[in-house]
Amino acid sequence: MNILVCVKQIVNPDKIEYDSTTKTIKRSLQHLMNNPADLNALEFALKLKDIYPDSQIYTLSMGSLECREKIKELVELGVDDAILLSDKRLAGSDASSTAYALSFAIKTLGRFDLILCGEHSLDGETSIVPPQIAQYLGICHIASVVDINPKDEGTLEVVKKIENVMAKFEVKLPVLLSVKKDSNLVRFPKLSFMIRAHSYEPKVLTLDDLKDIDVKKVGLEGSKTAVDGFEEEMMESTSCKIYEQASASEIECLADIILKLI
Amino acid sequence: MDYFLTDNQKIIKRLAKKISDEVISKVASKYDWEGIFPKDILDLLAYTELTGVYIPKEYGGFGGGVLEMCLVVEELSRNCAGIAVSYAATALGAYPIMLYGTENQKKKYLTRIAKGEAIAAFALTEADAGSDVSNIKTVAEKQGDFYILNGNKHWITNGAEADIYVVFAVTDKSKGPRGISAFIVEKGYEGFYFGKKEDKMGIRASSTTELIFENCKVPKENLLGREGTGFIVAMKTFDRTRPGVAAMAVGIAQGAYEHALKYARERIQFGQPLTSFQAIQHMLADMYINIEAARSLLYSTCRMIDNGAKNYTKESSACKVFASDVAMKVTVDAVQIMGGNGYVKDYPVEKMMRDAKVTQIFEGANQIQRNIIASEIVKDL
Repeated sequence: MNILVCVKQIVNPDKIEYDSTTKTIKRSLQHLMNNPADLNALEFALKLKDIYPDSQIYTLSMGSLECREKIKELVELGVDDAILLSDKRLAGSDASSTAYALSFAIKTLGRFDLILCGEHSLDGETSIVPPQIAQYLGICHIASVVDINPKDEGTLEVVKKIENVMAKFEVKLPVLLSVKKDSNLVRFPKLSFMIRAHSYEPKVLTLDDLKDIDVKKVGLEGSKTAVDGFEEEMMESTSCKIYEQASASEIECLADIILKLI
Repeated sequence: MDYFLTDNQKIIKRLAKKISDEVISKVASKYDWEGIFPKDILDLLAYTELTGVYIPKEYGGFGGGVLEMCLVVEELSRNCAGIAVSYAATALGAYPIMLYGTENQKKKYLTRIAKGEAIAAFALTEADAGSDVSNIKTVAEKQGDFYILNGNKHWITNGAEADIYVVFAVTDKSKGPRGISAFIVEKGYEGFYFGKKEDKMGIRASSTTELIFENCKVPKENLLGREGTGFIVAMKTFDRTRPGVAAMAVGIAQGAYEHALKYARERIQFGQPLTSFQAIQHMLADMYINIEAARSLLYSTCRMIDNGAKNYTKESSACKVFASDVAMKVTVDAVQIMGGNGYVKDYPVEKMMRDAKVTQIFEGANQIQRNIIASEIVKDL
């Protein structure tokens, strides 16, 4: 089984900053992380590989060359090959342009039995990239997936969850599934995978590598939506500390801090 | 401090730290309090391939040495020495096989240990034979194709949880220490039972159990080394594994130091954080100095062993003594810095103080280690 997982490198939401000139998110390497829901999607791919060891797992990301360090973390988890689509002409792409570019990258990479995506990225929250990729590729898409089990090599049993309703599907491959965040526990890396990842360099594709793509449909100019403006809700700056299941002694510590503030 | 670890050693340390911080830290208190053996954590260490870091590649391991083993033990101990010792005790049971096993014994047992399919233990201590190893009473008598073992072993780490045991027994009483032999005993052998499980002060997540041998039949091919070489097998094993105790001690001390430092930054007294008081600053500085010194001695000793030094008995003992004394001092100071909060179970340092104590006691009490070091120094004159 050939499985492709789309993984976005996002800015840690706790560290997010906006560039008011370009109206985009500022991306700095030290605050990049792999989108959590995409890691849940990858975990399902790894689970299928446990069942079918001959399967190949690829990941596809789109972003700056700085994303390569975070992509190595995917190799640490057991990904066979990772591909980064990186081209300055893609900067500022909206969700639709991103799906368009990714679908051409997928066509270039070959045929996949299963494509997995996280349902949404923590920084964008649009949830429209996965269905649009499926549309561009002309394959079936199921959203809000919380479990995937193989029936046989050509069919999957897929469980989706909306609110408190679970629906079970039997779907023939190829298919694109977008996976809900926290739908499984992402495994730990293996030592041998980590050693491989240390010297691994993700393959980089540019727009020039993508056959028949219309470059006018990507990037800031090619995007159908544009950020008109944004406002940050100004909150009074305070240093914040979260105490979970605080014990009596921790509350005493907290009381010290509150006393200092008042 | 930069210890110039290789890339692979840094990766091992990073992986062990990730498991320690993301998994062990969350269960340490519960496992300690309820005395839960951490089989699930050992399974995770097996999945991540950390169980085989010190085992040669030809037996399915990573091919590292004592330093690689110690890096794992140190990081696990930062959050729970009880869990770390359950991992380290398997190394203590594996090293005699690595050092003195036949090719068949190595293939049969080390491959399972490397994959984490088998837990090992080292059974030397008896009620009347702790530091005085030569006084063991368990006997092994050869009968045809078997040795028949009779006797009891006490305070055996991984006790009833292990699958493979290296057991020491007297095969010729007239020869004193030269009449001791080592055997590989598997769980389930006829006449092999488990006795009392100890209710310990610290490292409570680990299992410490009595082993009972009543006409236990051990196949003769499970003799480790030659008959009468058991004392040497034990001592040479300890030379390689005492750094593991030092690593445990360094990890405990590091964990306690980190908790105390964090607390001192946050705790306000007289309108300022504890870290602004010089008395506290000096305690933190001494903790840091001692931990770095212990770690330096530990890593240097490991490198000496892994690079093929012929005799490292005193260095191995020295790092065990120094690091364990540091762990005791640092954990006591961490409790002191945290005051009442250090003395209650809401914070992990009281557990760390209890855990630290055993590092001064097991694998040869620090007093006997000083005897060993002194004897080696005098011998060198």
